[in-house]
Amino acid sequence: MMDERHEELAALNALGMLENDEKRSLDGGIARDKDLRYLSHEFDEVTAELGYLIAPAEPPANMKKRIRAKMRATGVKGVGISRGVLVGGLGWVLAAAFGLASVWLWKERSKMTQQLAAASSVIAPMAPAVDDGKVRTLAEELKSLRGDFEGKKAELSAEVESLRQRESAARARIEQLTAEADALKQKEAIAQMEIVTLQSSVWEYRKSVAAVVWDKEKHQGILRLEKMPKVEAGMDYQLWVVEPGKKDPVSAGVVQVDEKGFASVPFKPAREVGGAEKFSLSVEKKGGVEKSVGEIVFSSP
Amino acid sequence: MTPPELTEEELLQRTGRGDSRAFDQVYDRMAPRIFGLLRQMMHDGREAEDLLQDGFVLLWEKASTFDPDRGKAFPWVVSLFRNKAIDRMRMLGRRNRLMDSEALEQVALPESVHGSSEDEAASERGLVVGEAFGKVPKEQRRLIELAFLKGLTHHVIAESMGIPLETVRTNIRKGLLRLRDVLKGGA
Repeated sequence: MMDERHEELAALNALGMLENDEKRSLDGGIARDKDLRYLSHEFDEVTAELGYLIAPAEPPANMKKRIRAKMRATGVKGVGISRGVLVGGLGWVLAAAFGLASVWLWKERSKMTQQLAAASSVIAPMAPAVDDGKVRTLAEELKSLRGDFEGKKAELSAEVESLRQRESAARARIEQLTAEADALKQKEAIAQMEIVTLQSSVWEYRKSVAAVVWDKEKHQGILRLEKMPKVEAGMDYQLWVVEPGKKDPVSAGVVQVDEKGFASVPFKPAREVGGAEKFSLSVEKKGGVEKSVGEIVFSSP
Repeated sequence: MTPPELTEEELLQRTGRGDSRAFDQVYDRMAPRIFGLLRQMMHDGREAEDLLQDGFVLLWEKASTFDPDRGKAFPWVVSLFRNKAIDRMRMLGRRNRLMDSEALEQVALPESVHGSSEDEAASERGLVVGEAFGKVPKEQRRLIELAFLKGLTHHVIAESMGIPLETVRTNIRKGLLRLRDVLKGGA
């Protein structure tokens, strides 16, 4: 049962007046007696309500900042955490943005380093002369600024690293696409090619091979000869492009074979030709002629 | 349409859930009264500032333990800051002595309530508490004011005022019982 002594202790405790033994005595009573527990709570409430009668005083204007700085300095979570820089969109745009951010960061770092050095040099000699609380607050704010800076730096570094990886991946993809495009071009070029095997009714050329690879798009080609007999002195093989409906073929140049009768040479007609061409190979005077007069040894079928 | 203003209890609960904007509003509404209390208790502006700073950090951490079924927000906050101030006084060795001889004369809770139009609920409650406190006998009220505003032990108060310790204890008990009864609607 609650007695006056415990009521007194509860009242004094509500005002924060108890020390050591008396506090322990009250705690024991509260643990045993729920009425005392209830009264103690009532006294706590009533006492705290006196706070409504306090004359307000304006706190320093920077107090909110100081509170947040203290939270950061002591590692309290939750208030004032910057969200960092939002990223999105194409890698190239981000890379440019973070390039600028890196420059800014570098400048900020230099500025903050100078500020910190200046502040430190000011605080150090002042420390013995000024109030400990002020020095402590400044030091905490400097520490929190440094913490902020380091946090932002780490965040940006991670993002820049991520962008570098994305840039490398993009480069690899571009190289792959370029290779695929080249392959497609090559395929397309091959599609434009026509291979024509020339035929011969001349006995001496029965074992010889003459073939033309003709690019219909570019109007140029490659002549390949094998096992060709040697021509007489003062004579050359000459290739001709025969246009449909045209009487005179167009010269595609003189061809010289090696000792084994082999030749592989690119050629282009002396002038533009049109339509589906045929080809012939004749033996002409050395250096070639404008109009074919010699023996035709090979021709398109 | 202007959203309805949140009560101090709602703001404190939101603060407990990590809402930093609610925390800002708790600060805006309560900091001036709390700072007034701390300046009275510490008798030192710098100490009061440090306590206000540290106390709001503690409030951010402890707000989740606030239970609106067990009491109002502002008294809860007052208790938190008073306890912190008393701890600080104990650490500084000020708990068992008066800072200066004139201090006792200056200590008094205002008879009229200080508030603002934005703080209507607090002002209303202040009027009720002020009126109730006015019904507590003067000698009891004086002791409660000294204990509440200065954080002194009953031993120091008895010695400083030259009255028996038992009288201090009894009058404080009676004073708080009277205040409780009046606030509960008693005469």
